[in-house]
Amino acid sequence: MQRVSSTCDWKYVKAAHSPTVIPWSMQQKHGAGTGAAAAAGYENQAFAQVVVGKWRAFRLRSNNLSAASSSSKPSMANTHTSYTADPTEKSQVLKSGIAEFYDQSTGLWEDIWGDHMHHGFYDPDYSSSSLSDHRSAQIRMIEEALRFARVPEDPAKRPTNILDVGCGIGGSSRYLARKYDAQCQGITLSPLQAQRAQALTAAQGLADKVSFQIADALKQPFPDGQFDLVWSMESGEHMPDKAKFVNELVRVAAPGATIIIVTWCHRNLSPSEKSLQQEEKELLKKICDAYYLPAWCSADDYVKLLQSLSLEDVKAADWSEYVSPFWPAVIRSALTWKGFVSLLRTGWKTMRGALVMPLMIQGYKKGTIKFAIISCRKSL
Amino acid sequence: MRLLTHNMLSSNIKGVTNGFPLRIEAEKVVEKQVDFNPDFLKNMFPKLEWKALADAARSLGYGELPDAADASMLDSDDFLRRLHHALLELHLEEGALVCPETGRKFPVNKGIPNMLLHEDEV
Repeated sequence: MQRVSSTCDWKYVKAAHSPTVIPWSMQQKHGAGTGAAAAAGYENQAFAQVVVGKWRAFRLRSNNLSAASSSSKPSMANTHTSYTADPTEKSQVLKSGIAEFYDQSTGLWEDIWGDHMHHGFYDPDYSSSSLSDHRSAQIRMIEEALRFARVPEDPAKRPTNILDVGCGIGGSSRYLARKYDAQCQGITLSPLQAQRAQALTAAQGLADKVSFQIADALKQPFPDGQFDLVWSMESGEHMPDKAKFVNELVRVAAPGATIIIVTWCHRNLSPSEKSLQQEEKELLKKICDAYYLPAWCSADDYVKLLQSLSLEDVKAADWSEYVSPFWPAVIRSALTWKGFVSLLRTGWKTMRGALVMPLMIQGYKKGTIKFAIISCRKSL
Repeated sequence: MRLLTHNMLSSNIKGVTNGFPLRIEAEKVVEKQVDFNPDFLKNMFPKLEWKALADAARSLGYGELPDAADASMLDSDDFLRRLHHALLELHLEEGALVCPETGRKFPVNKGIPNMLLHEDEV
């Protein structure tokens, strides 16, 4: 397992966040004139109690639903159902679920967290509670991933054509395009995200470098060998067919390209295990339903897939300890007055996602859920 | 969608052997000024599918690119300016990209192509 030294002299570039861009949800609901301000004062007991009450009601309901669904309807996580829908149909249902989830939730996320929709990378002794520090941590995550994968900094060797798979509202796309002065394409299933990504990109003066398409990561609309950096930051979790996903990443990668996957996984299985423990599976299933995730895999599964495709320099690391402050920070932001009211205004899908957050923390604590990075190089 | 992007998009419908280049049906084309960068153009040139670019530019109403091009033309400022305009400044805002084999249309709305496949195309 690779350890990242907290005293290493990593450098990171703070992304320029244009102060004139108003998040669209603010425009829609609160009118112009308010910026994307960080939430303040999140130790509010009253709201915490309301949320806990709703959480208990939700758990009761979801336990009943799980019992019902295991005997009749197809489930997103495709684990314990007796009815097996055609895989293509299930996949289409999953894809539209993912698109709808992000169409509904993205505005709220951006309001509070900004344009990076991924975990921050923290030192083990992290103790700040400021949201701007979390944003720095999200930027550090990008830099640490590039460093881990040994993406060349040398201007003669740096990437010139980058692909961001599961690009969200383009935080990584813009950051990478700026950092390497490169062209970047981003793909997402969510039309709303693509529009928002494009608007932010234009507002930040990067429209000549970064473009977005609505496309499926499992069936990418690019010919072979196009990109010299293929980037998947916390999108792998949504891919129902990991083999197809990895195959596509490799197909569109140019000779010599670097492929970086940063993703939630379940823990690696020991040699004697055929699967996770039952209670681990149940925990993951609840999370799957809320976040439109198909069945989880492990980092080892990714490594095996990449090795089977004859990729070079395949590396993996468990970064769970470096992301542990993240979910508590997200929960705290949801418990602020602003976060809570905004949640109520979005919709059930987003709320369900929010209510499931304690399960993510539980999963990390139990060692069931891991935050992994896997990288490799395509041979020349 | 810029033509630089179009030059790297293809139809990936099941059974299609050559989904590149996509034909363009243009309903709304917008011109957006971009700073001229000759070095970028010279670096990009070898990676471009020239005929696809020239045809695409014509679909967007710009017929000033030659049908064929070679690296010696990069010495000409006039050529570079035309390349710059076609590649980076013409935007397809509304219209469709059409699979050359099946005729299936991928819509382009507000400048964003939707390349998602239907169930039977996967």
